[in-house]
Amino acid sequence: MLVHLQGSWSPALGRLCMKQLAFLHVPILEYTFAVVALLGLAAVGAVTYFGKWKYLWREWLTTVDHKRIGIMYIIIGLVMLLRGFADAVMIRLQQDMAIGPHSPGYMGAVHGYLTPFHIGQIFSAHGMIMIVFAATPLLVGLMNIIVPIQIGARDMAYPYLNALGLWLTGGGAALVMLSLFIGNFAHGGWYGFLPYFELPYSPGVGVDYWMWAFQLSAIGTSLGSINLIATIVKMRAPGMTWMRLPIFTWASLSTNLIALTSFPVLMVALALVGMDRYLGTHFYTAGMGGNLMLYNDLFWIWGHPEVYFLILPAFGIMSEIIPTFSEKTLFGYATMVIASFAIGGVSWGVWLHHFFTMAAAPSVNSFYSITTMLVGIPTGVKIFNWIFTMYRGRVRFELPMMWALLALSLLIVGGMTGMMNAFASNDYMWHNGIFVVAHFHMMVLVIASSIFGAVEYWFPKLFGFKLEQKWGKWFFWFMVLGTGFVFVPMFILGLAGMTRRLDYIPYTAWGPYLHLEMVGIGLYGAALLFFLAHLYVSLRDRESRRVGADAWGTGRSVEWMTHSPVPSYNFALIPHINARDEWAWRKDNGLTELHPGDYEPIHMPKNTGVPLVLGAFFFTLAFGLTWRIWWLTALSTAAIVIMIIVRSFDTDTDMTIPPNEVERTEKRRSDRASDFIATGVPPYAGGPVGTATAYQRLPEPAGGTGASSGGRL
Amino acid sequence: MSAHSTAVDPKSASLWARHYPGHDVIGTRTFGFWLYMLTDAMVYAALFASLVVLSHASNMVGGPAPSEFINPRVAYEETIALFASVLTYGLAMVSLKKGSRRGVTGWILLSALLGLVYLGLSVADNVNLFQHGITPQTNGFLSAFFAIIIYHAVHIVVGVAWMLVMLLQIAKEGFSQNVVYRLINLRLFWHFQAVIWVFVFVFVYLQGVVL
Amino acid sequence: MKNSWKKVRHGATLLAVGALGLFLSGCSARGIYLMHPEGAISKTSFHYFLLDVGIMLLIIVPTTLLAIWATMRYRKGGHGAYQPQWSHSTAIEIVVWGIPLITVGVLSYLSVKAIYAVNPYNPEVIAKAEKKAGSTPLEVDVIATDWRWLFVYPQQHIATTNQLVVPRGIPVRFRLTSTSVVNDFIIPQLVGMIDVMPGMRTKQALIADHRGNYLGFSADYSGAGLSWMHFNTHVVGKRKFQAWVSSIQKTPQSLSYKGFNRFARPYIPVGQKTQPIFGHVKPGLFDFVVREVMRGKTWNTPMNMTENMVAYLKKQSKLQKEGYY
Ligand code: HEA
Ligand code: HEA
Ligand code: CUA
Ligand SMILES: [Cu+2]
Repeated sequence: MLVHLQGSWSPALGRLCMKQLAFLHVPILEYTFAVVALLGLAAVGAVTYFGKWKYLWREWLTTVDHKRIGIMYIIIGLVMLLRGFADAVMIRLQQDMAIGPHSPGYMGAVHGYLTPFHIGQIFSAHGMIMIVFAATPLLVGLMNIIVPIQIGARDMAYPYLNALGLWLTGGGAALVMLSLFIGNFAHGGWYGFLPYFELPYSPGVGVDYWMWAFQLSAIGTSLGSINLIATIVKMRAPGMTWMRLPIFTWASLSTNLIALTSFPVLMVALALVGMDRYLGTHFYTAGMGGNLMLYNDLFWIWGHPEVYFLILPAFGIMSEIIPTFSEKTLFGYATMVIASFAIGGVSWGVWLHHFFTMAAAPSVNSFYSITTMLVGIPTGVKIFNWIFTMYRGRVRFELPMMWALLALSLLIVGGMTGMMNAFASNDYMWHNGIFVVAHFHMMVLVIASSIFGAVEYWFPKLFGFKLEQKWGKWFFWFMVLGTGFVFVPMFILGLAGMTRRLDYIPYTAWGPYLHLEMVGIGLYGAALLFFLAHLYVSLRDRESRRVGADAWGTGRSVEWMTHSPVPSYNFALIPHINARDEWAWRKDNGLTELHPGDYEPIHMPKNTGVPLVLGAFFFTLAFGLTWRIWWLTALSTAAIVIMIIVRSFDTDTDMTIPPNEVERTEKRRSDRASDFIATGVPPYAGGPVGTATAYQRLPEPAGGTGASSGGRL
Repeated sequence: MSAHSTAVDPKSASLWARHYPGHDVIGTRTFGFWLYMLTDAMVYAALFASLVVLSHASNMVGGPAPSEFINPRVAYEETIALFASVLTYGLAMVSLKKGSRRGVTGWILLSALLGLVYLGLSVADNVNLFQHGITPQTNGFLSAFFAIIIYHAVHIVVGVAWMLVMLLQIAKEGFSQNVVYRLINLRLFWHFQAVIWVFVFVFVYLQGVVL
Repeated sequence: MKNSWKKVRHGATLLAVGALGLFLSGCSARGIYLMHPEGAISKTSFHYFLLDVGIMLLIIVPTTLLAIWATMRYRKGGHGAYQPQWSHSTAIEIVVWGIPLITVGVLSYLSVKAIYAVNPYNPEVIAKAEKKAGSTPLEVDVIATDWRWLFVYPQQHIATTNQLVVPRGIPVRFRLTSTSVVNDFIIPQLVGMIDVMPGMRTKQALIADHRGNYLGFSADYSGAGLSWMHFNTHVVGKRKFQAWVSSIQKTPQSLSYKGFNRFARPYIPVGQKTQPIFGHVKPGLFDFVVREVMRGKTWNTPMNMTENMVAYLKKQSKLQKEGYY
């Protein structure tokens, strides 16, 4: 052993022993464990009962289809969002109870019901889960699904790598969930504190869990970014020039360039923590020539670009939804693109604003204060461009649009408060304070809102039916109310000087605001129920909600040009792109036929279980490292290396879909856009009857598109 | 102004790409590998930045000054071994263009051997340092010093292992599409290690001598 | 030019005050510490805060109104004219890039000024006041442990725990360090934050304007005791300060280097009204701590220390009775 450990260690089980099985003796965890175990059993039981194991394995777990991988990313993201929300409820409840020296304490706590040991784990897990295992997978999943379709490709550039990225993220998420029941999680906050995370001050396995889970997701996300960039650069359909690229794809490109260059720095920041903890090196120690400030720099060199990595796809989503529901072209396409890259570029030069109080020279703080505020310019441009997109449009308030508008308003509040943080003399007063927490929750809720908008918006594309709107609107409005009640008092408390991560609040004067926040949590809870109702009712009534290719009737980009749900090969024939908003252009010109005929064989990658198994081994590797079970670590490493080598000898990785099967699949689609073949009625843009398309359709010569398209290929 | 500034005549526009050949596999794979190397370059950038941060007198407490133990001669020998290996790998690629299986196999074998020579030198040097009590645990500077050297050596191990795997694959498949793109990527990887080594040599060894 | 600039500043301040007033009206202002600055540094920060918010509202409010107007007027079935192809206007582009650019320019200028004015190492406002008063500043060495604040008065050779007493109107200069992990030192109504780092020394300075009691705490997460790591700042008159110093100096308890090593062990001051005071402190304690930590000294936290807080506190008070601390 290279370092001195507190507690016992054995070769067979490492640091693991009965005492570490926290769910056996901590009351809250007993209930949680019971619930999770029941849910798990129910899921397993249901799959067995309906005999779906084979289906699950063949169609989902071993798939390399980018849409299914994306959907699984989104499922992981939603589950983790729920977990993160449960954590938020626990934090708020504690801060609602533990106010003033006379507040009672329960379950071993002096005040409230959570001891410092537990609440530390909760807010650390909340922050980390929300950022890395909720927001990131949700956005990566959306990019995974939409980008290839939007650029007219059949798949991602590296489908196998894509699956591997998914399962690494899944492994990381599983590791975080496991820390609930076996051992404990990090106590110090999602971004880690050095030297607090060194062994002398964090002797348990919490930091190790945190570190390895983070590391797995970092590897997964970097692989994903390589894949998305290569896809966008190399796989565009013919005619899809850069200036015809859909705006969401642009956003994905800029955001993945950030990920590609910043995640490696995170890996280093974390690896050095690991070396300090496992090998006894002195990168970040206070003594022996270490430099704890190095960690802050390395972490935030990743951390700040990371928040823009999250917000840029959200901006991309807004830039897709707002034109569709304004029935109008996006205003200032070129400036939107420039602004995205400007945000991405500047994001590299602002990280020091996360530690203005670390006693850097005033000239240094001035520099970073200014660079940080510069981000306000391109972001402002985006806001104005969205406003001018609605201007002279016809705004329809359907659910995706409502979410996009909510995101826009939150962005204004979050942006203004972010600019207040960037003004360093303000930050001296409230760094590490609740004001900062309120600022970034506005921003992360921009992301959450856009994600909900995106799910509403693209759901029919993937599943062939729209989500219902009644419960969805209840969900929306209760999220708005919850946000108001939780975060407006939080801003006030921020100006009061309340600091973050408090287990106990000594000043009763802050009580009323804290109680108001609890009301907000109740409203959020109601919102969650409405969300479930929304899903349930939509699924129940799906037959009456079927849609055609162009689900909203005013879609503009290429993804609305194929069937809903999208067939596994996306397009029977790769589209040839002629305009920026290709589908809107085709609708304008009456070229909406989706069945060109004369199908060709399609090459697709074959399913494979290797990524899933690799992900599992990475999970056991991380688990072995966390608990210092060296044999498990060695075994998993060997298994990973061998699997990678063996897989490289596999030549049977592709398959071909014969043309007649393509034709059969295409004929089975019941899109309205395709009814023309059968009925001879001129094609409709695909939307439900009665919705307008973006442009007045040009008068169409008799014969329509079906007849002429054959000659035009 | 309209969104369709480069207007295409809808009457003659082609709508579907028939007989679309698809993207070129080797080009796409190589592009991806470039992206991967960019991430690895960022890892090195972060490590070198850490070294710079940890190179002050206060980071060297409890250990000797770098100039007392850094041996640029060994590093120089390592340089020769590594660069020779890169050269022989380049010759393997020349043989690949000619389609000569024997040439490729022979040159790759030689590159792998030279890689092993490099590793041998490196291990000997570091073991020697360890024996003199100069270890990553000594102080912050030495932690960063060894982190870079060992991280680079791990890449060399991976490179050599990859070469051996490629020898097997060439024997099994000949120059199939998969084998060719992997050989090209391995060349990128191997050259990249040499480039990084230049930085290691300059910033770790030469710089260390003057510190 | 200068005049119109003043007008802008004036207008901005008014706007900010108005908005904040609306924001806070109805809620009791009690406990909203940052809005009630009582010291030279915090007042300067607050002044720039108002300017910053005011100027930003000048652009944020119109933007918000524009957004609402556009959504309402151009809603489907509304009165706006529909022009689906309209997607570019050079004039608008210039305005939307130009206005934020100008705003950020103005904010940057103010931000730099503010940073220099309150820069913890040498705040211009304090330097000016010192020059004017000609008085020598009071020096206080702050040592953060897990999880208490030790305030050493090197000139007076005394030390207090979780209690800071400073004279009114006289500059106080702090040197700060930590034994174990990073903390953040703040007294919201008097002075902003500065990191307190192990093995390093940072500085801070303040002048308090009024007599009174002010809260101070640690802001950076430092472990289980963070929530209880707050201290009281008494601002007293000059004479009263002298009296206080001599009363402390009479305390028999003294603090040696060895004693400090014991003092610095993990300790959570839950519900503790009285904390140790030291009538004599070994000179050079501050530098001793910095040096020791640089040499690798740590005060380790036991595993799962606060898994059961009540039990832990019982153990802690037992240890305390036995003289462990
Ligand atoms: C993406 C990031 C993200 C998101 C979305 C959130 C969302 C929320 N957060 Fe969090 N938060 C952070 C990131 C995030 N947070 C970070 C980084 C920290 C700092 C941690 C640290 O200190 O280190 C933090 C800290 C933090 C604190 C700590 C304060 C402190 O330090 O003292 C609090 C306290 O109230 C809080 C509250 C909330 C609340 C009420 C929400 C609400 O908005 C939640 C609303 C969500 C819902 C209502 C869920 C709805 C769920 C579904 C629709 C899914 C359903 C799915 C299925 C059924 C499968 N957050
Ligand atoms: C998606 C997430 C996201 C986004 C987009 C942002 C955007 C911004 N953030 Fe935020 N931030 C976080 C997430 C995010 N942040 C998180 C998670 C933390 C804390 C982490 C932790 O400690 O746990 C944080 C912390 C943080 C700090 C550190 C505070 C501290 O710890 O003391 C600062 C300081 O400068 C800051 C500033 C900004 C600024 C200036 C922007 C700008 O990009 C905002 C730009 C937008 C606008 C300005 C609005 C629109 C513009 C106009 C309408 C035009 C005109 C306006 C003007 C010119 C004023 N943020
Ligand atoms: Cu010490 Cu920053
Ligand atoms: Cu930031």
